Amino acid sequence: MTAGLDFSGLYALQGINTPVDFLCESLLQALRLIFTYDPEVYVTIWTSLKVSSLAVLFASLFGISAGLVVGTCRFAGRRLVITLLNTLMALPTVVVGLVCYGFLSRSGPLGHLGLLFTNQAVVLGLTILATPVIANYTIGALSAADGRILPTAQTLGAGSVQSALLLLQEIRFGAMAAVIAGFGRVIAEVGIAMMLGGNIRGLTRTMTTAIALETSKGEFAFGLALGIFLMTVALIVNLLLNLLQQR
Amino acid sequence: MTPLFSLRKIHKSYNGQVALSINKLDFMPGCIYSLVGPNGCGKSTLLQILALLLKPTAGELFYRGRPIAWRRRELQKVRREVTLVHQSPYLFHRSVRYNLAYGMKLRGIAETEQGERIDHILELVGLTGFEDRNARELSGGEQQRVAIARALLLRPQVLLLDEPTSNMDKKSIDEFDALLPVLMEQDLTIIQATHQPDQPQRLGSAIIAMDLGRLV
Repeated sequence: MTAGLDFSGLYALQGINTPVDFLCESLLQALRLIFTYDPEVYVTIWTSLKVSSLAVLFASLFGISAGLVVGTCRFAGRRLVITLLNTLMALPTVVVGLVCYGFLSRSGPLGHLGLLFTNQAVVLGLTILATPVIANYTIGALSAADGRILPTAQTLGAGSVQSALLLLQEIRFGAMAAVIAGFGRVIAEVGIAMMLGGNIRGLTRTMTTAIALETSKGEFAFGLALGIFLMTVALIVNLLLNLLQQR
Repeated sequence: MTPLFSLRKIHKSYNGQVALSINKLDFMPGCIYSLVGPNGCGKSTLLQILALLLKPTAGELFYRGRPIAWRRRELQKVRREVTLVHQSPYLFHRSVRYNLAYGMKLRGIAETEQGERIDHILELVGLTGFEDRNARELSGGEQQRVAIARALLLRPQVLLLDEPTSNMDKKSIDEFDALLPVLMEQDLTIIQATHQPDQPQRLGSAIIAMDLGRLV
């Protein structure tokens, strides 16, 4: 695949030090890193996708369940819970990182688990970040759902759990949109991955932390390669989200 | 004979507004009842209470002589014998077959039996060949027939119909009327709210007239 790519002509631009040349050269180098399957780029991408997917899986379990409870049950303090969930949507990632760090650091209450600077710690932080997003989207989907679904399920003999599952099935596009929005939130964050993962090369380095680090080291092309991939993922996520919201 | 449903001093109000106030009312098994009265007279509220979807503000409801305690497990048990078809029924965004099979799956009925029952009921309601059609894409009359078929498949003791023809055009009403003999052949109690003045007579049903939430 790479044999057919010849950048030699364009590399002749090297030595010309205009800002446009710098950007062009960096872009070409970034494309070369992507198309020559640079191992470091792809390990970083894999780590990002892995921790984000796992976090979204856990956040979906908690977020959709919480969304179903808050969206369908009427209880004292419900408005307060919704306001809290809305507030948590805008939670700064570094704050999540900071709180988790406090718990996971050696002198913290969960320090004995030895999770700090591991992918598990990143997954934990990202799960906390994505759960309110998924819960809120689920509540939104439920509020737009047909009010006849639950009575219909009940009159057909469904119990509480069966009714909730049916409801989830009927709002499946909204629930999928919730999951995708959660994924969009975690794949692009940097604070949690940096503070809880430690940006360890080949282990906990994600796309966002690698972009921040490599760019500060002057490796702009490497950062750009990951940036291109990150943008592609973000684009796919948003396309899927739009597609689902139209259904 | 023990009444199927007995209402004693049943009262339902919303924000202080009385929606239903019935001192004494009994529904006997195997009979057909028509609830008649103007809009807002409490017909739907009464049906929702009988379907155990709405808890009365005060009073006691008995099913087969036993008081309803409004506990979750007990409600589910009785709901499996009583089925309500709403005024504008909700059909799931799936095939007709899925809609029909849903209640049977909940009751653990074997798939082969589900298939046989579905074939039979679709023939009864005149929808043979509709199994794989998307239920939400059917006409109003067809959707109403699917909803009734879905209820009948569960072989309930009581079928509650909330103004089944109110949102229908003439053609759909004719389709529904053609279904009435089928309903009457089933060994069940039917309680329906209706706007059609001649329908109770055609059904040969007992008429329960209501106004302002009370029996008249």
